[in-house]
Amino acid sequence: MRHGKYPFIIGFLAVPVALYATFVVAAYIQTFQLSVASWSGFGPIKYVGFDNFVKLWNDDLFWKSLRHNGYLLLLLPIVTIALGLLFAFLLNVGGGSKGGMTRGVWGSKVYRVIFFFPQLMALAIVAVIFGRVFASDKSGMINGLLPDSWAPWLFLADERWALTCILVVLVWQAVGFYVVLFSAGMGSIEHEIYEAAALDGATRVTLFFRITLPLLWGTIQTAWVYLGIAAFDAFALINIMTVDRGGPDGATSVLAMMIYRNTFEYSQVGYASALGVVLFFLTLTFAALTLRVTRRDAV
Amino acid sequence: MARHDDGVITVGRSRTGTFFANATGIVFGLIMIFPVYWVLNTAFKPDREVRSFTPTFWPHDFTLDNFKSALGEELFIPSMVNGLIITAMAVAAALVVGFLAALAIARFSFYGRKAIILVVLAVQLVPFLALLIPLFLMLQSVNLTNSLVGVALVYLVLLLPYTVWTLRGFISGIPRELDEAAMIDGCTRAQVFWRIILPLTGPGLVATSVYGFIQAWNEFIIINTLNDPKNQNLMAWLLYNQTERGTAWGPLMAGAIITSIPVVVFFLLIQRNIATGLTAGAVKG
Repeated sequence: MRHGKYPFIIGFLAVPVALYATFVVAAYIQTFQLSVASWSGFGPIKYVGFDNFVKLWNDDLFWKSLRHNGYLLLLLPIVTIALGLLFAFLLNVGGGSKGGMTRGVWGSKVYRVIFFFPQLMALAIVAVIFGRVFASDKSGMINGLLPDSWAPWLFLADERWALTCILVVLVWQAVGFYVVLFSAGMGSIEHEIYEAAALDGATRVTLFFRITLPLLWGTIQTAWVYLGIAAFDAFALINIMTVDRGGPDGATSVLAMMIYRNTFEYSQVGYASALGVVLFFLTLTFAALTLRVTRRDAV
Repeated sequence: MARHDDGVITVGRSRTGTFFANATGIVFGLIMIFPVYWVLNTAFKPDREVRSFTPTFWPHDFTLDNFKSALGEELFIPSMVNGLIITAMAVAAALVVGFLAALAIARFSFYGRKAIILVVLAVQLVPFLALLIPLFLMLQSVNLTNSLVGVALVYLVLLLPYTVWTLRGFISGIPRELDEAAMIDGCTRAQVFWRIILPLTGPGLVATSVYGFIQAWNEFIIINTLNDPKNQNLMAWLLYNQTERGTAWGPLMAGAIITSIPVVVFFLLIQRNIATGLTAGAVKG
């Protein structure tokens, strides 16, 4: 098999390697270059050393955004995985057993499709819908259902709750995929294991924690990585849903949001690039940590 | 263990538990589906019913006017065509390039293989936003801003990591003995790839193309940055119209439905394979 493999390898990998060299590596080198410059996007580039990073260190919004990134990075995976596992468990083995076979709750096939629907909806559409759900006057879906005597809830206009609203939308959209992912994992667990445990008197809760969870651990780790990436991507939703793009008063700002605004609204390309460099190292750290934690035998 | 007369053994002993499991399922099912239902509900209502403060849970005067007005909007049809062209180009290119790259990684051992796998993974994590400025400058220098090809190229780069990663999982699952047997029977290596591995990777190709389609069809930030209003896709069109005409909910929801149709159709066609497709690549890791 060894004979003449290099023509294949080179031929097969030339295009992707070239693409990455241009669109990712070269582009990132340029971002690093611009991070030590003061540039508005037009005209000559002035190099200013580490000024941008000093400015960053003293920028309150930067630290606030960093905290928000951390909040999403922690809570999005936890909440989504917890809900995903719960539903997948309900769908697969939650409904008791008949004729010696454990089975899912009633209508589990329908749920599988329903849960997947949010995943199919584009972010732009999700933003439009939840804009209606969270509308802060009586025309909103939630406020419309509340009694008339109550003051309307502000949701995205409320500094304390705006980021949580974003989290809710992200979870709502993500959870279906993980229900399907975990269902597939649970489907591969032998039914006999559940039967035996149930015969020994195990409750649903015991079944879940003693059998399902340990056997699914690998899949859960994969889910964690994907959700971590999704948390870094939350910018797209924040950009189109929140008051004043990252507001009110920076309450939903994340690093990516700052990059976007500095580039396209304030023409601070240098400062935006410095933020890009920070984001780069943060994601790499996250990636390295996750790879270490979820290390598997075969890479 | 509780044995009931009908021969049902309920896991966890209680029927109350089964009842709660079912009830939780129904409640969360409703929460998941409600916004989708609301879009449909609004899209088929006439304007005055949409604006009324007492919400109606079913359109009283069923109408298709919202769809007509969405389709008649300026740039709606061109944006749809743009989106289809860009998506088709990006997905087709990602499948070809990604399949070959996955083949190289899965079937050959060579110096730098692990490095390539790690780079593929890392690229998936790279915040693409930080690259928007350099990408814009780069594409501008070769006259590819404000063009469908430029956007498709960027999308291709975005789709490749997942494509390579998933297809690699599928190809690794095909036993090497199959390759060897075919080569003993006189196949060249290229024929092995073409006649044996490609057909067996079919489900993986379907899964990745669906993923790619959804990603490319739904993207709006990159295209919005690179292109003029005339060369946007439907997603960007939708957002633009939301901000421009904040309250025309009916046509907006109708537009949203039309925008979702390709993805939903795609999903329903391959619905049965999607779980295996999505997970096979992911779980094998």
